[in-house]
Amino acid sequence: MTIKRIADSGLMIMVIYILIFAMYGAVQPSALSAYSIQGLFNNSLPLMLAAAGATFVILQGGFDLSVAGTISLVNAIVAVLQFDGALGAIGMLAIALTVGILVGAINGFVVAYLKVQAIAATLATMIICQGVALLILRAPGGYVSDFMTYELTGSMSGIPVAIIIATLVALLWFVFRRTNAGRNLLAVGQDAKAAELSGINVARTQFFSFIWAGALYALAAYFLAALTSTGSPSAGEPFLLLTFAAVALGGTAFGGGRGSVTASLLGAATLVLMQKLLFSVGVSSFYTGMIQGMIMVLAVLFSGAVQFVVDRRNII
Amino acid sequence: MPERINITNLSKRYGATVALSGVDMGILPGEVHAILGENGAGKSTLVKILSGVVSSNAGTISLDEACIRPSSIIEARRCGIATAFQELSLIPNMTVAENILLPRASSGRFWPESKASIFERAREVLIEWEVNDISSQSIVADLTLAQRQRIELVRALSHARCLLILDEPTAALPDTSWLFRQIHHLTSRGVSVLYISHRLNEVREICQRATVLRNGASMGTVDLAGVDDEDIFTMMVGHGSSKKKRVSQESSTNGEVLLETYQLRSKMLKGINLQLHAGEILGVAGLEGQGQQELFRLFGGLHKPTSGEIRVGDKVTSLSSPRKALQVKPGIAFVPEERKTEGIFASLSAAANISIPHFAMTGWAKLVNGRIERHLAAEAADQVGLAPRYLGFEVGHLSGGNQQKVLLARALMTGAKILVLFDPTRGVDVGTKQSIYSMMRHFVDQGGAIIFYSSELSELVQLSSRCLVVYDGLITDDVAANEISEERLLASAHGPGNARKDSLQEAV
Repeated sequence: MTIKRIADSGLMIMVIYILIFAMYGAVQPSALSAYSIQGLFNNSLPLMLAAAGATFVILQGGFDLSVAGTISLVNAIVAVLQFDGALGAIGMLAIALTVGILVGAINGFVVAYLKVQAIAATLATMIICQGVALLILRAPGGYVSDFMTYELTGSMSGIPVAIIIATLVALLWFVFRRTNAGRNLLAVGQDAKAAELSGINVARTQFFSFIWAGALYALAAYFLAALTSTGSPSAGEPFLLLTFAAVALGGTAFGGGRGSVTASLLGAATLVLMQKLLFSVGVSSFYTGMIQGMIMVLAVLFSGAVQFVVDRRNII
Repeated sequence: MPERINITNLSKRYGATVALSGVDMGILPGEVHAILGENGAGKSTLVKILSGVVSSNAGTISLDEACIRPSSIIEARRCGIATAFQELSLIPNMTVAENILLPRASSGRFWPESKASIFERAREVLIEWEVNDISSQSIVADLTLAQRQRIELVRALSHARCLLILDEPTAALPDTSWLFRQIHHLTSRGVSVLYISHRLNEVREICQRATVLRNGASMGTVDLAGVDDEDIFTMMVGHGSSKKKRVSQESSTNGEVLLETYQLRSKMLKGINLQLHAGEILGVAGLEGQGQQELFRLFGGLHKPTSGEIRVGDKVTSLSSPRKALQVKPGIAFVPEERKTEGIFASLSAAANISIPHFAMTGWAKLVNGRIERHLAAEAADQVGLAPRYLGFEVGHLSGGNQQKVLLARALMTGAKILVLFDPTRGVDVGTKQSIYSMMRHFVDQGGAIIFYSSELSELVQLSSRCLVVYDGLITDDVAANEISEERLLASAHGPGNARKDSLQEAV
């Protein structure tokens, strides 16, 4: 079972990340400075958080397109409100999370309790959120406080804030996975029928997966505003496909039941790092998407191959 | 004695289909009470209502004289009712411990419980119910079917405080004595057991009373000691079953060889040589896990051998996929054991399920003609004794026995001359068994050949024109028709040179 454990633990994506980082460091030694690393993580964090959120839904066997809409909406709201200082940033975070959780709750209610297909329901919320974002903020711009722009993209006692946040999310998953809610989430993803017969409240489990997702999307939008120090009603659009790419790269199965949030964090970080690497070796940005796609296919093929080997061993 | 459970006029309707129409019964504390009935008599629906999976439309259930109406498994468990389902409900990628303790695997209130402590708690549960050979740390997917069934049972046993519901609990169990010990353990504490099984001898061994269902209604409750099998059959079907004596069959190994293997090896198989002749029903007997499952999956194209040859119709072939197995002349149709996961398209109609192979073979661009579909399906359905009115139903709504008939009809539909059936009557009732038997006999009379495995020795004795016994990946005995007896098969199944006859119950 060791090979399976490696595939499930996200170790593979960690190795890929370290390899690419080593290459990046080799072609661009200045990338290893503390400042560059901080910048790299600041750039990666929004996608990492979005991918972490989507993983909660995918693990229970669902699908969530609302990531783009939620990020646009929260990003627009953060840019419109004008709160200064540390307290302002905390208040803003609370508002962002509330909006994200609200969108998640709507998704969860419609999908888990009204039994609307997840793709249809979340596509609808995505479009609605994008519309509302445009009502709030007509064009890119708005105001982001200096505190958010400088402190949240800076360092705390030498450690970049982005790394701290990513670590906290990884820790959150580490604990959550071991709780009943976490186990039930994975059980529902593997076999919803069996999970129900085992006494798991399937609808509630699905509902809460969307809440987690909404909260993490909001967090992504919040840090995106800090990173760009501006807002945009279409800020979330580039996230839609990259989020799923990051989840796949992390080895999480789209069928549900197998994977990890931490692996998705690393998957997202890898995608961003790859962009940097390709840019620094002078590959035209036209090729970036193509190469990212190929790496993704390879990663998915690899985890598929591992699963194949494991399954073959299990055939009686 | 006041009844533990009292059920009055319980009814359930799914749209236009009436599944239960007035069930009345009572279960005493500490009693093991059987439910008997044909396919579609309403047994599964009754189980589902009592365990909280579906709600009834009318009628009442009272537990210790208080009305209950469980609307979820958890609520039923809170009332002290736990169920071991026939279609096992374990999560494959999780550990035994997690499965037993779901949905509250971790007992920590503020912080998740450590894995070690979860394993330990589950180990205690396993020990309490005398399961000593399965580690609480193993992954369920790695267990054999029999082990999984025991885990499913242990979970239900551990939750049952008032009533334990067992739906076909021995379908995959090699040995009933373990289960019966646990049932006695439970009933000695005053817990009642509702026992659903097609195996009448088991029911007689463990149950005191039985309630018979027919067409969704209860026909009455009988004291099992006071009635013979004939009376029970009469209650179940409404008329006495005509006991058929075994038709003596000639060993027809003079037909042309349709399927042949030479030194076939794989993970479990250590060199299988066999020949299947036209016009022959070749039985395969064996204790669980001797490689028979792998052998049958090889024939079905679901599994590849590591070495050796398979000849179909005199040509060496590699059965690399089920499609290949069907296409190679004269065609192999495989009916797997796990119909829920490997056989049916639950949301398609029975007719569509049956006629799929026809359309799969006629080319991808041809439109599916609904009339042809129904016509073809009706023909095949007739051969397996599936009532035509079921053809329009979604297969997922049919009872287990009818689902099995649909699968067999589909196998016939392929036009294959070789049928490979793995335990075709597992979990189906007496009536369906008879239709499956007559379909099989008819099929070989037409020049086809059948190789089938069964976990019921009596079935092998009744049907086979020749019977092979597998033991530890090898064929250890080849019994001709006139020599087949349960004792002989049982003795061989325990290994070459082993003539233990004392464990009839354990072997099957």
